[in-house]
Amino acid sequence: MMGSSPAVFKFKSVVNDHIFFGPDNSRLAVTQEKEIQIYEVLPNNNKKLLTVLTGHDEPITAIDISAQGLIASASQDRNAIVWKPLDASFSSFKKDLVLLRINRSATCVKWSPLGNKFAVGSGAKVISVCYHEPENDWWISKHLKKPFKSTILSVAWHPNNVLLSCGTADYKCYVLSGYVKGVDEKPPATLWGSKLPFNTICGEFISSPGGWVHDVAFSPSGDVLGFVSNDSTITIVYPKGEEQFNVVSSKTNYGSFKTLEFISDNQLITAGHNCFPVIFQGDEESWEEARSIDTTATSQKPKTFKSLEQDDDEEGNTGSNALSMFRQLDLKGKVQNKGSSDLPTVHQNTVTTLKFFDQSHISTSGVDGKVVVFPI
Amino acid sequence: MLNLESSNLSLEKTLRELFTTEKSVSIDRIVSDFDNTLFHISTPDPAEKTKIVLSIFLKCYNDLVKYGDVDSYLRNAYNDSQWYTVLDQPEDGYNFSIFIDLQQISTTVLASPEEMESLIAKLSLLKRNALAAPFDVAFKRYDVLAQEAAVKNVDLYVPEENSEEATSVINYREDETIYIRPSHDRVTVIFTALFKDETDKIFGNVFLQEFVDARKRSIQNAPQVLFSPYEPPLELRGLPEFQNFNYGQQSATSKYDKGFVTFVLFPRHLVPQKRENTITQIQLFRTYFHYHIKASKAYLHSRMRKRVLEYLKILNRAKPDQEEKDIERKTASGRRFVQRI
Amino acid sequence: MSQSLKPYLTAVRHSLTAAVSLEDFASQVAERHNDPEIESQRTPEVLLNPMVISRNENEKVLIESSINSVRVSIKIKQSDEIEHILVHKFTRFLTGRAEQFFILRRAPIAGYDLSFLITNLHTDQLMKAKLVDFIIEFMEDVDKEISEMKLFLNARARFVAEAYLTPFD
Repeated sequence: MMGSSPAVFKFKSVVNDHIFFGPDNSRLAVTQEKEIQIYEVLPNNNKKLLTVLTGHDEPITAIDISAQGLIASASQDRNAIVWKPLDASFSSFKKDLVLLRINRSATCVKWSPLGNKFAVGSGAKVISVCYHEPENDWWISKHLKKPFKSTILSVAWHPNNVLLSCGTADYKCYVLSGYVKGVDEKPPATLWGSKLPFNTICGEFISSPGGWVHDVAFSPSGDVLGFVSNDSTITIVYPKGEEQFNVVSSKTNYGSFKTLEFISDNQLITAGHNCFPVIFQGDEESWEEARSIDTTATSQKPKTFKSLEQDDDEEGNTGSNALSMFRQLDLKGKVQNKGSSDLPTVHQNTVTTLKFFDQSHISTSGVDGKVVVFPI
Repeated sequence: MLNLESSNLSLEKTLRELFTTEKSVSIDRIVSDFDNTLFHISTPDPAEKTKIVLSIFLKCYNDLVKYGDVDSYLRNAYNDSQWYTVLDQPEDGYNFSIFIDLQQISTTVLASPEEMESLIAKLSLLKRNALAAPFDVAFKRYDVLAQEAAVKNVDLYVPEENSEEATSVINYREDETIYIRPSHDRVTVIFTALFKDETDKIFGNVFLQEFVDARKRSIQNAPQVLFSPYEPPLELRGLPEFQNFNYGQQSATSKYDKGFVTFVLFPRHLVPQKRENTITQIQLFRTYFHYHIKASKAYLHSRMRKRVLEYLKILNRAKPDQEEKDIERKTASGRRFVQRI
Repeated sequence: MSQSLKPYLTAVRHSLTAAVSLEDFASQVAERHNDPEIESQRTPEVLLNPMVISRNENEKVLIESSINSVRVSIKIKQSDEIEHILVHKFTRFLTGRAEQFFILRRAPIAGYDLSFLITNLHTDQLMKAKLVDFIIEFMEDVDKEISEMKLFLNARARFVAEAYLTPFD
């Protein structure tokens, strides 16, 4: 359905998170402050609002969808809600409040690969591993408390549905077990460890120069872990068994990255304050930038601020926008041609989330209120 | 507006109105001038609207009497015209009153506009003339001293012995004083410089420095100007109020914490044909000086305001352009309309 | 632009550009609070090391960053008491309009003349590069403005003094 050029959907305010779902990824959910808006994606990048999910009373920080089609949302109001679609057209949803038992902002949410539980990171320095209890028909949670000393900024599940990783505001990245007795099957041994009762810590890594760990991800095989931190560094961890690890990091000149996903064990895609997604590739020796996905950004070198200034004076203004010219003169003291002060990228501000749309596309959303589907 | 008028413009205007109005009206107007001076123009008897009394109140009138015999001086000065007479007993609450009969004036004076203007000018210079009295006394004393010195053949380069010569002290404002001290080769006029706020003080220092330097730079014939930001100059040290002054030790809380601006008037400024002009000019000093401090502040304020608005415009450039289609347009009557593209 | 001003401003520009990479971050100390961490200073790990970029002892910039806010404080050159009073008046003029200058802090940090507080709410709504441009442009302009005002004051004082003293002759 998506073509070879980026498809852009524009929204009113900051999009903290988004998901494409439904048949043929024809539905789009975006966070808009305290609500979730559900759209039907129409041809030519048009969209139709189907419904608005309300229930949080503080801004929503993240949403995710399970393999079974349940949407989980996390908010600064300390709650998580599971939204269950009631019809095939996704125009109405049933709302279930999750017992997170936390007293600070919920910062991130991720469903496990099987969709039988999800993890919510929080400012309460715990991760709530949530699962459904059929007896009472409610969502309850177990807390991963150790060894966190600061806000959890991100979580990611290992493909085995048991291990999860998280990044924290005190520069750490952890791998630990989210095994829930009665919900999970006993997992086979991995390179991260073999005996995995709840809250087993399988790895602790520090962002070396000291940067908040904005996002973590496992590779599809689960044998490679990557995280991005505020010092503009990407760190890749290779478990060697028996608590031995090989750590490779790559420092970049971009603004720090906020989100990453692995394409394979040797390729990852990341984006953040640089405002466009970039592919990195490498192995246990080193990781390097491969290419940018945003073709507008690669064909044109990012402009310096000075050259942006000069552009402002190019091209005369036609009479038709005289009104806008005078308004700008009054407000800004000079006329800016529309678009001339824009960044040479599709996203005009920080990219906060990056997800796989399908095998050959990713979708991103950002502070500029845009959701973009890029071909890889 | 660079130089200020020494007459009172408001008084001038009022008088001109009165002199030229066909129909006589009763009036009771108070006009204020610098240094808390008040003028009162009134028709004391409502039945006789043509009979006008002009009175002046000066804060320092007692000092003027003491050091300038101001009463005789003014009586003398306003004794030259048939159109007004000085009242023997000034109006209550005022120091000096002049009686004017409009009826007489309108019949004769109006025929000659020049005469009327000179009459108005003379009356509106009342304050200047009152303040001129002590200067006049001091200048006359200088004449005497200079003659004595000539007789005694005093060497000009020998420093003056600390003579007994009296210093006139005119407290013309709250806490602000003019000192006038005649000597055989000069008349020294000292103003205290007191500033209400820190900005005025700093601006004032900048201005005063230029007053001090002006003579060295371009106007060699001007009076010498000296500025002492703290210590009273030598001429004043004999005065009782400075007896206990703590020389060489500056204290922020001292009640003497004010500056002193000294003008040294040389014989060339005191020759008879220059005398009146010098008096006019010197007594305007404080008003002129403070006026220009205020004017500079006002200018800088408006300049800063303008600059701040420019900064705001630069900051506004950070606002992304609004998407045109999101803006709902309304006509003046409140009707909505959609732009057709 | 003078020789030493350019590298100074370049250093400030790059440091600011890096520092304004902000995100939404709710307080982990106080329940249901979300305030600029650099102001509350309650969570040490989300504060970065403050940085001073200094051209000389009279002109410097303090950049204090945190996860959701950055505070930029500027010390403007003041070589004498006239410049001091002009800077004081000028900054008061600016802070008096802090509402309009949404990133301006009402009171500067001790030891500085003017402070800006940029939060994630500002970077969400505004173009980061232009915000940095504004601060740089301001720093570049303010010295010029102050020295022009000082020159004006001296010129006016001279003119006024001469105009007063001339009629004596």
